[in-house]
Amino acid sequence: MKDPSFDDSPAAERITRRRALRIAAAAGAAAAAGSAQAREPKRPHDGDAGLLFDATLCVGCRACQTACKEANHLPPDRRAEDGGLYDAPLDLNGTTKNVIRLAVGPGGETEFVKRQCMHCADPACASVCMAGALHKIERGIVAYDEKRCVGCRYCQIACPFNVPKFQWHTALPVIVKCELCRHREEGAACAEVCPRGAVVKGTRGELLAEARRRLAAAPERYQRKVYGESDGGGTNVLYLTSSAVPFDALGLPNLPQHPLPELSESVQHGIYKYGIAPIALWTAVTVIQLRNRKEDHGARREEE
Amino acid sequence: MGSHPRERPLGGKVLTSAMKVLLGLAALWAVMVAIRLLFGLGAMSAQNDGYAWGIWKPLNVVTFTGIAAGAYAVGLVTYLFNRGEYHPLVRSSVMAGAMGYTLAGISVLVDLGRWWNLWVVFWPPAWNLNSVLLEVAGCVLAYTLVLWVEVGPAVLERLAEARSRVVSRLARRLLPELRRRMPFVVATALLLPSMHQSSLGGLFMITETKTHPLWHTSLLSALFLVSCVTMGFGAVVVIENLASLRWGKAIDQKLLARLNAVPAWLALGFVALRLGDLAWRGRLGLVAAGGTHALLFLVEMALFALPGVLLLSARWRANRGNLFGAGLLLLAGGTLYRFDTYLVAYQPSPGWHYFPYVREMLFSLCLAGMGVAAYALFVKLFPILSGVGERGAKAAAPAAPMRIAAGR
Repeated sequence: MKDPSFDDSPAAERITRRRALRIAAAAGAAAAAGSAQAREPKRPHDGDAGLLFDATLCVGCRACQTACKEANHLPPDRRAEDGGLYDAPLDLNGTTKNVIRLAVGPGGETEFVKRQCMHCADPACASVCMAGALHKIERGIVAYDEKRCVGCRYCQIACPFNVPKFQWHTALPVIVKCELCRHREEGAACAEVCPRGAVVKGTRGELLAEARRRLAAAPERYQRKVYGESDGGGTNVLYLTSSAVPFDALGLPNLPQHPLPELSESVQHGIYKYGIAPIALWTAVTVIQLRNRKEDHGARREEE
Repeated sequence: MGSHPRERPLGGKVLTSAMKVLLGLAALWAVMVAIRLLFGLGAMSAQNDGYAWGIWKPLNVVTFTGIAAGAYAVGLVTYLFNRGEYHPLVRSSVMAGAMGYTLAGISVLVDLGRWWNLWVVFWPPAWNLNSVLLEVAGCVLAYTLVLWVEVGPAVLERLAEARSRVVSRLARRLLPELRRRMPFVVATALLLPSMHQSSLGGLFMITETKTHPLWHTSLLSALFLVSCVTMGFGAVVVIENLASLRWGKAIDQKLLARLNAVPAWLALGFVALRLGDLAWRGRLGLVAAGGTHALLFLVEMALFALPGVLLLSARWRANRGNLFGAGLLLLAGGTLYRFDTYLVAYQPSPGWHYFPYVREMLFSLCLAGMGVAAYALFVKLFPILSGVGERGAKAAAPAAPMRIAAGR
């Protein structure tokens, strides 16, 4: 279609194009500048409460599972298929804070693995929680306060270990996750009942020393690494596994050495640093309009 | 055409048969909400502990507000870049924006497991300022209110003509007060989406180990911001055309065509930003590696690049059908990018699967239907659309076919 009225468009377009590009550039720059803002990582402390799980010792008796349910007054797990009560959960869920699963290594060797909250030094769940329902308390425990929880489930999205669980089939749900039996003076119930010493409790410093001692005593038996020492910035629950079943086969992901909240918090706080960018944008738009309004009023009066 | 046409109420019958269908959907929706409230989220949604966010987030919240970003896109051009000629598009897009954000807010409320605790989000001592979601929540709520304030003048203009003397006097008194404060409202209306639309992408910055590297980048915020604006422009074109098809609204094709030079550059900028970012991170090989993720990535790129390139040509976009098509592509590209980021590229751990229940999808459909119904109601009662006749749709109807012919 031939349209003579488009004569006026090039000039107008040049302006919008240039300006549109500028928006994109500014947006990009804001994000890029943000990522440059370093954030202090929250480091693990030797005095924090933790667990050490040695997968080479676990025989899968699940005494820890039962002890956890008792100590935390959790209802028995109901099997989804027939609704029957076996109290044999397949994974962490809305009534299970601690579970034993079977892991298979690349060569077919098997090992039992215990799953519960890792109690990260710099937890992603607490970083994303809107009102701090998930938060660090004394002894490095990641605690949950249902009074501050709106059930948004961002913690489930953010946790690299998929630990927090939600109650999907009730009108009044809560987030369920291990809080290291913070209500018990004696500490974690799971570690008290283990017949093999596969899970032990203590301070992070003690547990790390114990893990290193075991590694040194039988180097050929283990993967030469204590998982959690620095993974994801460090966790208060530490793992050892046999040389035949690597950590990722246990369901422990390959994490960067820095805490996960580092990137998101740096970018977010970078963009909003001192509120400069938002205030500048708001002021610019207001000023432009007020100036226009003055001109407009003049023009309109002439028209009328 | 001298000064731009004034907005007028569309008028006409409110309770059309289409409206009855939409009201039926609203009733169905209410039943579904009741089921969710009584039996928990699991009764309505296939969301699970692996995929804790299902389609209600990327669709009802992020896509609906992406469509609603027409208000933001038109606002940026009209107010920040000071191009007053786009004023006739403002009220319509603000109305659509108010609808989109209201639906998103309602959807979030239904999706919140412990909704009765929502007050903590508005209780400053409880705030965790590290939470991207806190920023999104506060900002989206504030912006929804601001959008309704922006709809205010249209409502008051109509009420000023009301038969009741009390109402009309009140409206006449409020109108100039509101108008005087509009610049501050508009500035807030441009600030808030800049913040939360980017943060809707920023939410996935923390899932470094769960989000596929083709999508996980520190530029997530910038990419979501740019793509919400391209979606907004697409939405304006699509809604204009639908209003024309349904109600015979006259379309100022020249104006729309000129406006859509902007998303051309933004869409191409989006493609450049993503490819450049992948190259910078040395991850371009993932695209060549094939597989579902690479394929979806390429489809996304095509859905941005195609309208981007085509819209560059002033002649091409002058055609009404072409521009409508480009608008749909812009919406599709932004929507796919949102679904991919929230669901497809998100991989919690092996063994988790999610596919929405039919009732879960129906929930979204009903919500969208309610939005359309409310939009129709508002444009019929209040002066929101420009290019419609003084006595309602009938007066404007003859003008529409001519415009279409001229457009082709």
